[in-house]
Amino acid sequence: MTLSEVVKVDGAMGNFTVTVQQNPRYIDMEKCIACGLCAEKCPKKVPSEFDYGMGNRKAAYILYGQAVPLKYAIDADTCIYFKNGKCKACEKFCPTGAVNFADTAKTVEVNVGAVVLTPGFKPFDPSIFDYYNYQQLPDVVTSLEYERLLSASGPCMGHLVRPSDQTEPKKIAWLQCVGSRGINKCDNGFCSSVCCMYAIKQAIVTKEHTTGDVSQTIFYMDIRSHGKEFEKYYVDAEKKGIRFLRSRPHTFIPGKEGKGVKLEYVDETGNLFTEEFDMMVMSIGLEAPASAKDLAAKLGIELDKYNFAKCSSFDPVQASKDGIYVAGCFQAPKDIPQSVVEASSAAAKASIALAEAKGSLAKTKTYPAEQDVAGQEPKVGVFVCSCGINIAGVVDVKDVAEYAKGLPNVVYVENNMFTCSADTQVLIAEKIKEHGLNRVVIAACTPRTHEPLFKDTLREAGLNEYLVEMANIRNQNSWVHANDPVKATAKAKDQVRMAVAKVSLLTPLEYLSLDVVQQALVIGGGLSGMTAALGLADQGFETVLLEKTERLGGNAWNLNSTWKGEEVVPQVEKMVQKVESHPKITVYKKAELKTCVGSVGNFVSDVSVNGETKVVKYGAAVVCTGGKEYKPTEYLHGQDQRVYTHSEFDALMRKDSAELAKSESVVFIQCVGSREPERPYCSRVCCTHSVESALKLKKLNPNMNIYVLNRDIRTYGVREDLYTEARKQGVIFVRYELEKKPQVSKQGDDLIVEIEDHILHRPLKIKADRLVLASAIIANESKNLVELYKCATNSEGFLTEAHPKLRPVDMSVDGLFLAGLCHYPKPIDEAIAQAQAAVSRAGVILAKSVMPLDSIKSVVTDKCDGCALCVDTCPYFAIKLVSYADEDGREHKRIETDKALCKGCGICMATCPKGGVNVMGFTYNQIKAQIYSALQSA
Amino acid sequence: MAESTIELGREKKFSFKDKVMDMLPEGGNLNMCLTCGLCSAGCPATGLEGMDPRKFLRAAALGMDEEVTTTPWVWTCTMCQRCIYACPMKINIPQLVYQARASWPREKRPKGIIGSCDHALRTEGNSAMGASTEDFKFVVEDVLEEVRENQPGQENLIAPINKQGAMYFLNQNSREPVTEPDEMVPLWKILNLVGADWTYGTVGWGAENYCMFAADDEGWEKIVRDKVKAVEDLGIKYWLNTE
Repeated sequence: MTLSEVVKVDGAMGNFTVTVQQNPRYIDMEKCIACGLCAEKCPKKVPSEFDYGMGNRKAAYILYGQAVPLKYAIDADTCIYFKNGKCKACEKFCPTGAVNFADTAKTVEVNVGAVVLTPGFKPFDPSIFDYYNYQQLPDVVTSLEYERLLSASGPCMGHLVRPSDQTEPKKIAWLQCVGSRGINKCDNGFCSSVCCMYAIKQAIVTKEHTTGDVSQTIFYMDIRSHGKEFEKYYVDAEKKGIRFLRSRPHTFIPGKEGKGVKLEYVDETGNLFTEEFDMMVMSIGLEAPASAKDLAAKLGIELDKYNFAKCSSFDPVQASKDGIYVAGCFQAPKDIPQSVVEASSAAAKASIALAEAKGSLAKTKTYPAEQDVAGQEPKVGVFVCSCGINIAGVVDVKDVAEYAKGLPNVVYVENNMFTCSADTQVLIAEKIKEHGLNRVVIAACTPRTHEPLFKDTLREAGLNEYLVEMANIRNQNSWVHANDPVKATAKAKDQVRMAVAKVSLLTPLEYLSLDVVQQALVIGGGLSGMTAALGLADQGFETVLLEKTERLGGNAWNLNSTWKGEEVVPQVEKMVQKVESHPKITVYKKAELKTCVGSVGNFVSDVSVNGETKVVKYGAAVVCTGGKEYKPTEYLHGQDQRVYTHSEFDALMRKDSAELAKSESVVFIQCVGSREPERPYCSRVCCTHSVESALKLKKLNPNMNIYVLNRDIRTYGVREDLYTEARKQGVIFVRYELEKKPQVSKQGDDLIVEIEDHILHRPLKIKADRLVLASAIIANESKNLVELYKCATNSEGFLTEAHPKLRPVDMSVDGLFLAGLCHYPKPIDEAIAQAQAAVSRAGVILAKSVMPLDSIKSVVTDKCDGCALCVDTCPYFAIKLVSYADEDGREHKRIETDKALCKGCGICMATCPKGGVNVMGFTYNQIKAQIYSALQSA
Repeated sequence: MAESTIELGREKKFSFKDKVMDMLPEGGNLNMCLTCGLCSAGCPATGLEGMDPRKFLRAAALGMDEEVTTTPWVWTCTMCQRCIYACPMKINIPQLVYQARASWPREKRPKGIIGSCDHALRTEGNSAMGASTEDFKFVVEDVLEEVRENQPGQENLIAPINKQGAMYFLNQNSREPVTEPDEMVPLWKILNLVGADWTYGTVGWGAENYCMFAADDEGWEKIVRDKVKAVEDLGIKYWLNTE
């Protein structure tokens, strides 16, 4: 439901009635084919909100090319007809009659069991800071405006020019923390979490959007590259010549001739510099949208002081009311992977809440029996689409249709205004029956969007769905050859001829499916593993939880509280109790995975449990093998009792806080073992942990002198409040560089920490009663697991996800998911969200006893001689080498492909030198026929 | 500033910064510094005396009271407040500077500023230039007469003095009547053009208050009180101070 707003929400979990106002689109979504003619003919230009006013759209428009659903809309506020009662150009030109000026707002009631809130964020408006002159200086842009300037679909087609004079900027600067980490004139005390990384990305990709001779400077306070692989990206950016300046300029004034920006800044030694930049990008923060408060009020959920949804660390997507879940920046500013994780997590929470009703509204579609086309001569029907004037405006479709009639095997040809329309589907089915068609070619648009529709039409008509072939005469022809209709028509004929050649050789493919073992395995019994097991079991799946030690809970036992101040141990106790008493969870302690056979839907593993072997069958597994604290050898750790790691210090705090309160001076050293050549990543949790510990110490003894020696403080998100509070209470933060680490020594009985102050550049000598080392988080050993599952780790030993942004909890092997520290260092709330996300993703596999599979799979042919070349090239580990005996009892080898794992990519087929493996639907003969046909002239 | 080692550690002393924080709402946010350098980027006194606002605040935060209370840099601050205006943490550096000035023995403070403060305390008009009310009155009347005679259209220009019950009491920086008398005229013209009912006074007419810059709280207060009294004595509703 687009253009919709929630009016009110009644009811409770399991039975909400949501009243939605659906505002008019003035375009019938059923009829609109997104041809774009309405926008082309619309005479009214309006500044495009997507391009932040730097480009125009029409009053009839789509916001951007990737809009989903891809349907146009009329903006009644600017439309000439709505203003003057005249125009209606869009209506006149719309080829499908989709324009409906009489459309009105509708109120719709939706009955749902759970609600997920994802209203997103509002980009901060920097106009409030008059000293940056954002409104006055054309070449001062926000990072989102800059993103549009870099975009190929943006106002300058991705060839960067600056707004003042449309010339290419040579010298560009970014200013971080605009509208974040500030309490002066804006109240956004939080860190927006994503700006450091997007600024670095923009700085790097700027080179690709200019003629190359460009310099990039980033003005910053702390670089927060705390995500997986982010620190390496940052270090790499420095190597690429991006200039990082730890400084905030004060005022932007116009540069030469009123263009660009002139500013002053001080470097770290206090020297004042004046510098001009051609362009200035403000890295604006992410704040709660104005509508957040309103939405929260309608749903009766609580927000924090920044108007982000209030959630507990132990239930990170649960809003303050049952049945309502949140994800993304509505909960706090965050990046894409974390938002995607939370979205899956919210889906898991909703499906657990609604587990009882699962499947109760599902309907199954039935098809007629398929006619057996084996042995029949190919009888091809060709349907040539005009797509309104989208194709017909360039390609002579009548001529193409006429041409198609003369092609081999073609028995029926028709030209349709819209081949994809509902009535055409009926017509195609009729023609299949009437003319006994057993193969169909659709010459229209892309199979990416439309092939499923035509496949369904064939099935409805009693044909196997793999007997259709599409020729893309729109995207690959009329859209790109608009200026040359003659050649376009000739090319369309080539395309149709190739499709006919291929379709004639297509054979019906068997519909594949997989029986799924609707049981799950969770490996690792820490917080993530327990969360995953509970989530799976609460959805009704039998779950086996393996724990290598004799106790569930993992690292969480060693933590005192979350950054939000919630006590950890009582929660762990509660969770352990729940897991151990859950009827659907079998816990194996002192357990280890020994073997693994099978693939997604059907894994079988031997598990050693306290020395005894047990067999576990499962359809999906969640890997939560965890991590641990690095035990430092530096800074006198292990040599002086006053030197602790975080977990050691937390233990001391639990044991003897009275003794601890007597300390007069405590020093923390950050990045011990992290951001070092041997561990070039940020451990993400240590800054927050140190700041949190410092605050606890201040509570024990407000007069305690506390020093936090750091390289950057990375209290991302709302955690920044802790950092602010720590400073407020007098904690002193001193920054050091990797090349100039603090020196720790024992002088007499005194523990001495020496460091140079980063502002005064004078040596500091600190007498410390205690020294806390914020040591790195490292991944647990996973070599055995990696070998068994054929999955992968990155160079630091953290397990690799299928896609770092879009599939952050899927592993590269289907059916395997991951969560917690084994993926990357993370705090409790994020580990739990990730475990819940894994539950959701695994649930997709486990939900049905039979999983349908695509039929485009590789199959071995009799030419295979077992050379095994393809085994190594298959990216999905879908091919293995097997032995078989021939009639004479001689042993041979050949490959076997796993239908569940094969994606039909064809790499095996391209690798094989002897035609030993074929991909169904794309066999050698089929592709060869297409190529030969292409080489013929019309 | 010397490069000697700064010793930190166990003993908690009540530093100069703590003292200042006790005097300010929210402690003037003096602890909140992110060391971003924005203050110093915008400060006209950055680099003078080897100091800038960030270093000054940092020295205070590290308890280096000796440096903080003796650096002559504090006297180069113009009290323009550009630092606090844009500081992301809204840190009241100007107040820290002010209190550092106040910690100086009066006789050690810069002669020019102290001298101006003393002049103002001594004269009826609170003139930092030490100008007498007679001279001020004479110059105003003389300049007014000249403008009326020589500038067409300004025949009716007025510059009232001691007009009982006027709407606005206008102060005048005493540098103008003493060194640049013609500079007074544009404001008169504006006030007349808009029809403002305004007046100068013979008491407390000086707009400047160097006792504030001298961090002489008592003198500052006395001058402000004198000026307020002058406004009230004439029964005037608004006090216009152009400084």
